[in-house]
Amino acid sequence: MENTIKVERAILNLTQDELAQKIGVSRQTINSIEANRYVPSTVLALKLSALFKKPINAFFKLTDDD
Amino acid sequence: MNKENFLECERQRFAKLIKFRLPHKFMKIGIVIVVMSILLMFVKAFGFKEHAEWLKLLAEKTLLIGMLMMSISKDKVEDEMTIQLRSQSYMFAFILGVVYALVMPYVEFGVSNVVHDGGEAYKDLGDFQILLFMLMIQLMFYHNLKRYR
Repeated sequence: MENTIKVERAILNLTQDELAQKIGVSRQTINSIEANRYVPSTVLALKLSALFKKPINAFFKLTDDD
Repeated sequence: MNKENFLECERQRFAKLIKFRLPHKFMKIGIVIVVMSILLMFVKAFGFKEHAEWLKLLAEKTLLIGMLMMSISKDKVEDEMTIQLRSQSYMFAFILGVVYALVMPYVEFGVSNVVHDGGEAYKDLGDFQILLFMLMIQLMFYHNLKRYR
């Protein structure tokens, strides 16, 4: 799984810390998601989708490994 | 109450039990208890010879209680990732704890008999030693997993 959260965050001009606070997780969790080290739950993905006002598959993509 | 309601009630109660964590402040309380238990062990070792037995028991129990508090207290920001890392650390601690309990008595027996003839007789590990090892592994793995996340 890969994602473009960093790009979406930049569009909204948010820091990792601000994004983390908006969806109720730690800054390190956002950092891990952006670095593709952690795949978030559906709940978190839906929270990001609501914040970015885009469908989940606009910023999460399956890779060949998945 | 019909069967479905009863099952749902049981399921919710079980889910609540599974999610149980102490508030974050218990981490500090746990650290204080652990430090005091270690100090108590030193006090026991260098004095109070007549009370050594019960002081040892007290220090062991309070050390385990303190480490358990540290283990089950929430982080400042508890999210789904920390919950996953905590589960992984418990899994590692459980597996290594079982391996430790199986292997360590033979290691102690072997080393003791290699170092000097007629060393210690074979004996199983005590509950304190195994529980201390598992709690140490859990805390170490959890904080390392968090650091490298």
